Order: sequence, then structure tokens, then C-alpha cells
Amino acid sequence: MNPRYVLLEAGRQLRNVRSLVFTFVVPIAMLLIFGTAYGADGAVDPATRLPWLVETTVQMAGYGAMMAGLSQAFAIVNERSIGWNRQLRLTPLTGTAYLASKVVAALLIAAASIAAVVIVSVLALQAHLGAGEWFAAGAGLWIGIVPFALIAILIGQFARPDFAQPLFMVTFLGLSILPAWMTDVAHAVPSYWLNRLGQLGAAGSGDVLVPMLVLGAWTAALAALITWRYRHDAARA
Amino acid sequence: MTSSPPIRLTGLVKSFARVRAVDGLDLTVERGEVVALLGPNGAGKSTTIDLALGLSRPASGTAELFGGTPREAVVAGRVGAMLQGGGLLPTSTVAESVALVAAAHRHPLPVQEAMERAGVTAFAKQRVARLSGGQLQRARFAVAIVSDPELLVLDEPTAAMDVEGRRAFWTAMHELTDTGRTVVFATHYLDEADAFADRVVMMRAGRIVADGTPTEVKAVVAGRTLAFSLRRPVGDLEARLRSLPAVQLVEARGARVRVATTDSDGALRLVLAERDDAHDVEVTARTMDDAFLALTAAASASQAQEASR
Repeated sequence: MNPRYVLLEAGRQLRNVRSLVFTFVVPIAMLLIFGTAYGADGAVDPATRLPWLVETTVQMAGYGAMMAGLSQAFAIVNERSIGWNRQLRLTPLTGTAYLASKVVAALLIAAASIAAVVIVSVLALQAHLGAGEWFAAGAGLWIGIVPFALIAILIGQFARPDFAQPLFMVTFLGLSILPAWMTDVAHAVPSYWLNRLGQLGAAGSGDVLVPMLVLGAWTAALAALITWRYRHDAARA
Repeated sequence: MTSSPPIRLTGLVKSFARVRAVDGLDLTVERGEVVALLGPNGAGKSTTIDLALGLSRPASGTAELFGGTPREAVVAGRVGAMLQGGGLLPTSTVAESVALVAAAHRHPLPVQEAMERAGVTAFAKQRVARLSGGQLQRARFAVAIVSDPELLVLDEPTAAMDVEGRRAFWTAMHELTDTGRTVVFATHYLDEADAFADRVVMMRAGRIVADGTPTEVKAVVAGRTLAFSLRRPVGDLEARLRSLPAVQLVEARGARVRVATTDSDGALRLVLAERDDAHDVEVTARTMDDAFLALTAAASASQAQEASR
């Protein structure tokens, strides 16, 4: 691993205005719209016993963090089509380190996005929750995005540039919209458990084992697929 | 101290689908040499470079850099390269690109120094997307030298540059190579190979067809091609043309005869004096591709002769 490269890479992505729209502007805008529409009176969701406003904040922070993970797909596909990673192959950086740098970049950007959403929720909408609960919710979401970064890497490895956009859209819709109306499927996709992990953190109690196990299983399966694909690519070169 | 050559390629073969891009290539480049890989498009120059750098694997044969594997030389920072299709990120500035690649290396030059050597400080803060063709190539050059490599491999480094940009680029290059670095560059400009290399390796169809000083190579390319058609069979004209001192190659295909020569006037005089059935006569300056054709034909003819002995 090469920490200097990883940090520069994350910093480069944070300066890329286009990717910031989905990770910062959209979740904050949706928080302001839905937060004022559904949670301003302090109503509580009977199912989770959390204020609606807190639930919306967790959802939007989770969305921003998920986008920070998934947008790595564009970074990788783009860099492949430009030939940037051909250039990187002439450095000591290994292929694994290159992919790891994308996961770290995703985690750094997700941390910033989660913090931004929570801060806006507290300052602009006066969401009430203890500092410890906010932190637990944020940390839960943050850890939970690792499988999304891995999904992005997989898309980045498989897709040709012209194919990445539709593939990304299908994945994104599958992860974000499907769960709302197909509850059976919902319990299998990682975004359900990402949200659940955030909610449990906000509630400060509950069984975190199941979401951790599901997300852990996703992480392990995706990592295995990526490794297999990577070896396959290397053998063909 | 015996030191291994910067590049040693032995019996390299690489095929794509049914095409043999590199077909049994042997090449050794010694320390301090500036070598031009000269050849038309599709000659296998880029594939050879990819194989030499370990970016693709040969079907057979070996590529060694400094006596070890290409990857070992890359990890040690001893090789820098400007590749075909090796682009920089359009949203980053030149300085960021150089810094990013420097961060990936173990003992890089200071970013500022690499940029000064490549002459990109004037536009260091520009985004890559906004650079002109020449500026972009120089930025890529800065990236290639940031590990302070002993061996530089440049694949058509002056593509998309105007004449002046090309001159400026090579001036910057020479300041670097004066310190005993080894440089291999691919080009399809004969004048570029002539002006900047001290050894020219000509490739065609995945093979080396000539290897020598620029002067030797220029002599091969300098001639003209005489072509004409005959109404009657070519007969002994073919042998008589071949016996002319300046004629390098005579090729009769059907009614059409092609003569490669450095004295097209002499050959033309002979043809017109001997044959009243000669028509559609053409004398053309030889393109590099013709020269390569002549060379490969000559090479395979001499191989055939040796084999029959």
C-alpha cells in the first residue's frame, strides 16, 4: 500500500466537482425537501421509534455514502478508457493497491458526505439526537459502504466505457428504488442493511449482528469475484 | 563490472487473433544508446514496446530489462515511458498528474524538478483537458521522467506536434540524454529517426528488417521505384535489370514490372531502349513502406539462398 498515493487520489476526487453533485448536493437537497415535508413536527416512526427527521437524515447520509462508493465505477472505467492505469502500471503501484486506493477514496469521501448531511440536518432542521448516537449512525453507514465500493470496482473491471453507464443505472436503481416496493428482494440487497445499520446506530441499541453479517457476506463474495476477475485479466495480458 | 543491457529481447512472438504482431524479434539495446524504432503503422512497434515493458506477455520468447524482468525494473523506477494510449486524467492539472505518479514511485524526483526538466512549468496549473497537443505530450514526458529513469521508452512521442513543437521536444530530450541515459523511441518519421537517433532499427510485419546507423538506413530508403507494363513476356530483361549496379530489387508480377533502384534514370534508359512494348511507365520517390518491402524481399531472398546451400 502507498498512503501518499491514496491520499492524493482521494483529494483529487474531492476536487472533482461533477462527482460531488451526487455525493453532496443531491442528498443534502433531498434532506432539506423531505426533512421539512415529513419530519419537521417531530413525529416519530412507530416501527423504529426514531423521529422521522432522523430516519430521513440517515437515509440521505446513506445515499450520499453509497454514491461515494458506487461512483468509483466511473472513476475506474474512465481511467481505463483514458489509459491512465496503463501509465500507473509503469509504477511500483500494484493492481491490488490501485483498487484499494479506490476503496479508501470512497471511504474518505463517504465520511465527508455523511458528516455534511448530519451537520445540515442538525443546523438547518434542528434534528435532535445525542452526539454519540449521531456518531454511531454515521459510523454504521460508513462501514456499510465497503460492499458498494466493491460493486463499483466490479463494474469498473467488467464494463467497457459505453456499457458502464447503463450498468451503473441498473445497479443504482436496483439498490435504491427496488427495496421500497419489493420487500422480499429488499432484504437481500446491501442498501437495505446499510440503512438498517444507520438506524440501529441512531437508536443506540438493537441487534447489529445481522446487518453486519449480511454486509460482511456481500463484501466477501464481491472481493472473491474481484480477485478472480483480476487474475483472469492478468493471465490474458 | 559487467552490467546487463537496458533492453534484451529474445525470440519475442505475440499474436492478436490471426495476425502475428511480433514475429520472432531479437533486439539488444546497450547503455547510452538512442535507438529509433522505425516502421509504418502496424509494423509491431507498439506491441514490441508493450512486451519490453511487461505490459503484455509474449506467446514465446523473453523480454529482459537490466538483466531482470520488466516488472522488477519498473518497480525500481529504472524505466520511464510515454505509451500509446497512455493518457492523463483530463480533470487534473499537469502538476497534479506528475505528483500523483511521483507518489506511486519509491524514489521520485521532486515534482518541481521533473516539470522543469520536461519544460512544463509554464502550464503546470492548467488542466490536462485544456492543453494543446504539444503541451500534452510534454506533460506526459514529465510523467515519464518523474522516477528519474535510466531507460526512457517513448512511443511516437511527437505525434500530434507541429514541426516547431517537435524540435523543442527533442531539444529537451537531448538535455536529458546527455547524462548517459538510454532512449528507445518509436516513430514513423524517417527524418526524426535520422536527426535524433544514433541507431535505427527498422521494423516491418513484426520483424526487424534493418538495423544500423541513420546514414545506412537512409541509403536504403533514398531510392526510387520504376514501374512499367509489358505487352510481351519479360524474358531476359529481368536479369539485365538486376545486373545494373544501382538496382536493389526487380519484381515481375504478370505484365507489371517494378524496379527498386538508386539510379532510376539508368534503369529507365535500358527499358526504353530494349523494349518498344513498355508502357504505363512510372517513376516514383520511394516511400518508406516500399523501402521496407524491398528490405524484406531482399532478406527472405538471401535466407532462401542460404537455405538452398
